[in-house]
Amino acid sequence: MIKITNLEKFYRTEEVETIALNKLSIEIATGEFVAIMGPSGCGKSTLLNILGMLDDPDAGSYVFNDIEVAHFTERKRADLRKHNIGFVFQSFNLIDELTVFENVELPLIYTGVAASERVKRVEEVLDKMQIMHRRNHYPQQLSGGQQQRVAIARAVVNKPKLILADEPTGNLDSSNGNDVMELLTDLNEQGTTIIMVTHSEHDARYSHRIIRLLDGQSVMENIMV
Amino acid sequence: MIKNYLKTAWRNIIHNKFYATINVAGLTFGLVIGMFMLLWVQDELSFDTFNKKGPEIYRIGIVGGTDVSKQIFNYIIAPVVTFAKNELPEVKDGVRIMNIGDTPFKYKDKTFMEDGVAFADASYFSVFDFHLIAGDNKNPFPDNNSVVITRTVAKKYFGNDEAVGKTVILGKNESLKVTGVVEDYPANSSIKYNILLPVSRFNQLAYIKNNMNYNGTGRISSMDADWINFDFETYLLLKPNTNISQLEKKLQAIHERNKPDDAPVPYLAQPLFKMHLYKTDGSNGGIETVRIFGIVAILILIIACINYVNLSTARSLLRAKEVSMRKIIGAGKLQLFIQFMVETTVLFLIATALSILLMYLLMPFYNDFSGKQLTLAITNYKIWVYIVITLIGTLAASSVYPALLLSSFEPLKALKGKVTAGIGNAAFRRVLVVLQFTVSIVLIIGTLIIGKQLSYIRNKNLGFDKTNVLSFPMRDMQKHFDAVKVDLLKQPGVLSVTSGGGNIIDNNGWTGDNDWDGKPAKANLILHPMPIDKDFINFFSIKLKQGNGFTGAVADSNHFILNEAAISAMGLKDPIGKNIRIQKTRGTIIGVVKDYHYMSMRKKIEPAVLTYNPQNSYVIYIKTSGNDAQKAIAAAKRSWKQYNSDVPFTYSFLDESFDKLYKADERTGGLFNVFSAIAIVISCLGLFGLATYSAQVKTREIGIRKVLGASVTGIIRLLATEFILLIIIAIFIAVPVAWYTMDKWLQDYAYKITITAWVFIFAGAGATFIALATISVQSVKAALANPVKSLRSE
Repeated sequence: MIKITNLEKFYRTEEVETIALNKLSIEIATGEFVAIMGPSGCGKSTLLNILGMLDDPDAGSYVFNDIEVAHFTERKRADLRKHNIGFVFQSFNLIDELTVFENVELPLIYTGVAASERVKRVEEVLDKMQIMHRRNHYPQQLSGGQQQRVAIARAVVNKPKLILADEPTGNLDSSNGNDVMELLTDLNEQGTTIIMVTHSEHDARYSHRIIRLLDGQSVMENIMV
Repeated sequence: MIKNYLKTAWRNIIHNKFYATINVAGLTFGLVIGMFMLLWVQDELSFDTFNKKGPEIYRIGIVGGTDVSKQIFNYIIAPVVTFAKNELPEVKDGVRIMNIGDTPFKYKDKTFMEDGVAFADASYFSVFDFHLIAGDNKNPFPDNNSVVITRTVAKKYFGNDEAVGKTVILGKNESLKVTGVVEDYPANSSIKYNILLPVSRFNQLAYIKNNMNYNGTGRISSMDADWINFDFETYLLLKPNTNISQLEKKLQAIHERNKPDDAPVPYLAQPLFKMHLYKTDGSNGGIETVRIFGIVAILILIIACINYVNLSTARSLLRAKEVSMRKIIGAGKLQLFIQFMVETTVLFLIATALSILLMYLLMPFYNDFSGKQLTLAITNYKIWVYIVITLIGTLAASSVYPALLLSSFEPLKALKGKVTAGIGNAAFRRVLVVLQFTVSIVLIIGTLIIGKQLSYIRNKNLGFDKTNVLSFPMRDMQKHFDAVKVDLLKQPGVLSVTSGGGNIIDNNGWTGDNDWDGKPAKANLILHPMPIDKDFINFFSIKLKQGNGFTGAVADSNHFILNEAAISAMGLKDPIGKNIRIQKTRGTIIGVVKDYHYMSMRKKIEPAVLTYNPQNSYVIYIKTSGNDAQKAIAAAKRSWKQYNSDVPFTYSFLDESFDKLYKADERTGGLFNVFSAIAIVISCLGLFGLATYSAQVKTREIGIRKVLGASVTGIIRLLATEFILLIIIAIFIAVPVAWYTMDKWLQDYAYKITITAWVFIFAGAGATFIALATISVQSVKAALANPVKSLRSE
C-alpha cells in the first residue's frame, strides 16, 4: 500500500537547517498494523504527516496505492486524503460547535454522501464505537475516552483504507487507552491498514511491526509475534 | 450542506455571544448611520427629478453688475419669455412665476396668512408635473379672477367640500374663484407655491388698472413691455438637444435689443435638475455637502466593515484548530470559504434586521433632525435600491477577506498552534486600523471646524444690534405708522420703534439702475437699497462713518446713505455731497455707514444704499427691553388688530430670523456631530477587537516577561505602544485631508474662521485618549493575568 524511498524533509529557519527525515525508506503492506516509535524530535510526526498527505517531502518518492504522490498539488492530495485516510489525534480534535453525531457526519458531508446514507452510516459507526447514547452531546460533555471514540468513529466513517493515529492514547488513562487500542485492533482485523505513532511500548505491542526512528532514519524494525 | 453551514454559523454566534454582540452592534450602527446618510444623499439628488420633462426644463438667470458688484440673479424681466417663445424655435414653452409673499386669504370666517402665493403662467401646470386633481389642466385659469390651490390648502379652507367653484377673498377685498386644485408637491420639489394666480391678473392690476410702472419716457403699457422690473422666476421648456450656450446668447440678444442700456447682460440657463444643488452659473452649491455626506456615509460603512474584518480575523486564531480538522477530514478550500461566508451572512442578516427596525423607529427623529421627510415605504423603490446596494456592498466588503483568510489556513500548522503570530497579515490589519482612525479623526476635525464656524457666525458682530427686536410687515398699519409709533413708545417694554423697507437680516432687494458723478462708462453697479425711516440707523446702532443720518426733513427724500462697500465699488474718494441717481431719484450722498451684514455670511457684504422713504418702509421693528418682551408683543398685537382686524397677527424676533438663515448649516453641524460620534464608537469596537487579539497572541510573551520580572505598567506599555503608533500615523494622514476638505467647505462662506492648529491637536489628543481607554481594558487584563496559567496553557 505504501512505499517510500529516500524520503527527505528539512526544516529551515534563517540560520539553521534541521533534517527531520534523512533518506528514509519504508514499505507498508495493505492490512498491516505498524507502530512508529522513537525519541522526541526523531521525525515520527513528520513522517506521519507526510504519509497522511498533510505535508509534502522535500525529496524522495512516496507511492500510495501505486500512485506517486510526493509532488501532488494540495488539491489532489486533499482529494486522495478524504477518500482514503482517517486521522486519530492525541488531543482528539473534535469540533466544539458540533454534536457527536455531527462531528462524525462531517467527513461524509465533505465527500458528498447523501443525507439519508449519512444517517445510516453515522449510526452504524456510533453503534460500533458504543457511543450511540451520546450522539446529541457536545464534545465538552464527554470524557476523554468517549471523545477519542468519537474521533475514531469520525476517522473510520468514510471507510478509509488507512488510519493514521498520532499517539491516540496519549491523553487517556490506561483503561480508556486499552479500549482505544482494542478498537484499533478490531478495525485492523477487519482489513484497515493502521499506522500509529506512539511513545508507549505497551501500545506498540498491539501492532504487527515496530519501526524505530532516530534522527530521521529507520534504525531498527521489530516484527511482533 | 447549507443546513450544516447555517447550523455551525448559528452555534458560533450563540457560543460567542460577546463577540457576536460587538460585531452585530458595530455593523448595525454602521448600517443605520450609513443608510440614513445615503438616504439623505439620495433625497438631495432626487430634487425635481419627478418632472418628466425635467431634462428639457431650464431656469433662466442673468449676470448683473460689473467687476466687484457682479452677481447672479434668478429673477428676470417678463417679456423675455414671450419674445423667446415667438422668436426661438427651440423654446417650446415658458413659465413665469412671481412670488407675492405673505398674503392673507379669507373664506367665510377663516382667515389665514398664506406664504407661497404667486402669479404664474398657466403653463406652470403642463411644463412641470404639477397636475390638477380638480379643474381643467389645459385651462387652469379661465379668467383673471381664477385661483388654483393645493390639496392641503383646499382641505384647510373647505374641509371635505368640493373646492372648485368656491369664492375666496385675497387680501382685503379681491374676490377670487377657485378653478383648480393641484396635488400637494412632493417633498423634493424646489418649486412649491400653494396658491397660484394667473400672471394676466398681475398684468391687469399692475399695468392696466393701477399703473405704477414707469420707464424713462412714461408709463409701461404691459408686463410684456416692462424691460425694467426683474421680478420673475423663469423656466423655459426646450426642444431636446438644444445648444444651451447658443440659447443664452440669443436671450441676451433679445434683452439687449430691447433695452440697449442694460448691455452687457449675460443670460444663464440652468438645468432644472441642477437647481437644487448648484448655483445658477453651474458652480457648486449644496452638492458640496451632498458629496461630503456621501463620502462620509461610505467611510462609516467601511469603518463598520473594517471593524468586522478585524474582529473576525482576530478571533480566527481561536478557530484555527476547527478549520484544520475540517480540512484534514476532507473539507475543500471552497467549502470552508462558503462556510465562513455563510457565517458572516447570518450575522449580517441579524444586523440588517436590527438596522432596518432601528431605522423605522428612528425615522421620525431623523426627519426632524435633518429637516427631511423620508419614509421607508415599500413603494419607494429608489430608497430600497439604495438600501439593498448598501447591504450587499457592506456584506461583500466584510465577508470575503475573513473567509479567504480562514479557509486558507495550512491545517498542519494551524493544528499545532503555529499560526498564532502569523494569522492573516498583521500589516494589513494595521493598515485597516490606521484607515479607521484616519476617518474618525477627519470627522472629529470636521465637527470641530463646523461647530467653530457656526458659533463664529452666531457671535460675529453683524455691524448692527439685533437683540430683542421683533418685526413684522405692517400692512394697513403702515399708513398710520407715526401714530402707531407714538402709541407703542408709551407701552411698557417698548424701548424704540423704527421701520424699513425689507428684512435687515436678509435683504434681497437690488437695483442696477443708478448713476453718480464720475461713473465709468461701462460700469454696472448692483446696489441693495433699503428704504428706512429716520430712526433706523440709531435704532440698530449702525455706525455712521462719515456725514450725517436722516433727520426726517423733506430734503431727506433726495439724500442717500451708502455703505463702505458701495463707496469702494463706486471708487469715490470723498463721497459726501457727491451727486447720485438711484432709479428715478436724483440726489446727494449725505452719509456713509460702516458695512453691516444684511445678508447671509456666505456672501460678502455688498454695496447697499439707505434711502429715506417712510412710504416704502413697510416692516416695523420694535426694540423691547427683553424682560418685558411679552408686554411689547401684546401692545404690537393690539395695534395690529386696530388696523388689520381681519388678518392674523404674526411676528418674529430678529434673532429667530437670523437663526433660520443658518438652519441648514446648524443641521449639517448637528448631523456631523452624530456621524463622527458613531464613527468613533465603531472604530473603538474594532480597536477593542484588535487589542483582544493582540493580548491573546502575546499571552505567552507576557507570561515569560512577567516571570522574568516585568511590571504591570511595563506590559501595558508593551501592548499599547503599537496601537498608539498606529493612531499617530492616522493623525498625520488625517490632518492634511481634514485641512484640505474643511478649507474647501469654508470657501463657501465670505466670513469664516481661520483653521488653527489647536483643532488638530485637540482632535488628535481626543482620538488618542479614546483609543488608549479602549485598549487599556484588554491590556490591563492581560498584564494582571497569572503568568503560570498562560505558560501552562501553551
